[in-house]
Amino acid sequence: MSDARDNADICLDPDLDLKEEDILEAMRAIPGYLDITPGDFKEIYRLAFQHALKRLNRDVRAAEIMTKDVVTVNPDTPVAEVALAMGRRGISGLPVADAENKVVGMISEKDFLSRMDVKEPQNFMSLVANCLKTKGCVALPIKTALAKDMMSSPAITVLPETPVRTIAALMTARGINRVAVTDPEGRLLGLVSRGDIVKATRGRELSC
Amino acid sequence: MLGNYFRKMTGTTQSPPRVSLAEILWSWLGAFLGVAAVAYINYGLLDQTGLFLLVGSLGASAVLIYGAIKSPLAQPRNLLGGHVISALIGVTAFKMLDPHLWLAAALAVSTSIAVMHATKTLHPPGGATALIAVIGGPSIQKLGYLYAVIPVGAGALIMLVVALLFNNLAPRRRYPEFWW
Repeated sequence: MSDARDNADICLDPDLDLKEEDILEAMRAIPGYLDITPGDFKEIYRLAFQHALKRLNRDVRAAEIMTKDVVTVNPDTPVAEVALAMGRRGISGLPVADAENKVVGMISEKDFLSRMDVKEPQNFMSLVANCLKTKGCVALPIKTALAKDMMSSPAITVLPETPVRTIAALMTARGINRVAVTDPEGRLLGLVSRGDIVKATRGRELSC
Repeated sequence: MLGNYFRKMTGTTQSPPRVSLAEILWSWLGAFLGVAAVAYINYGLLDQTGLFLLVGSLGASAVLIYGAIKSPLAQPRNLLGGHVISALIGVTAFKMLDPHLWLAAALAVSTSIAVMHATKTLHPPGGATALIAVIGGPSIQKLGYLYAVIPVGAGALIMLVVALLFNNLAPRRRYPEFWW
């Protein structure tokens, strides 16, 4: 919250920032007699600002921001193909769906790292460090694995009407970067990533 | 409790800024022309006929429609609606309660305010229009409900026409904000 306040130009706190002298100056700029006191104007401003905040922060739903064009793999896809698909699309995770398009798990870079014996923190540089200490490829242990062997299961999914606010909280709480959006039967509809949430916000996050 | 009650009498904010000299001059000239139009017809044309147009509450309207033209209270709906409604209420109060003029006066003004609020036509001079219907003496009282048409309705209408013609001559004025 305190960080957001530094951004004074997009984040006016109606109680703190608007001085009566500002209102008087604005009233002077408008020709003619304005039939309102500065105090009343301030009150209107405060209430209007709150109303605008509420409107801008209305609950956006998962369905409005999800990516619909989702790459999926089968439970029986070899991880080599999974890695190739992720690399090509430049994504760090994808859902694993069965023949009925039901989401059975999620597979991400973290799943790869943990199977390649990378200890905490599980990130690319830990992998490089690990690699430099080992003879041969650190990916060898998973050479023959299938998606179902490595995926995180059950997948964390949400419904299309889940508020984005809830998804953001879920991501923070579970330390994940994407959730699958499914219908009530668990069939895949789309994917919401952290990037999707950032894009949807577009600097409108005026919750300060 | 009591402290809070009295504290409310100290006010919370300050007076709005003074308007520019240009605004003062436009207000002066507008009011001069508006009242002149009504008064000229009153004294120059109607005097011989026994009719009249000039009532005190039109002076109060001039403050609003030439001096505070942005105010919701100064818009045509309020000007015409407020005067005519209040005139009808004032005449009714007099007819019903004469000779209890104190009661007629109080009811005329208070009821006018309530009805102007309810009809979104609040116009402060309407209170004067209602009061004049009661205390205006024989020349007003003999008009009966005609009072709402002449002088009140016609006087307000002439002032409105002058306001429309005059206020929009000023480069930084426009009138009205809304009609209805």
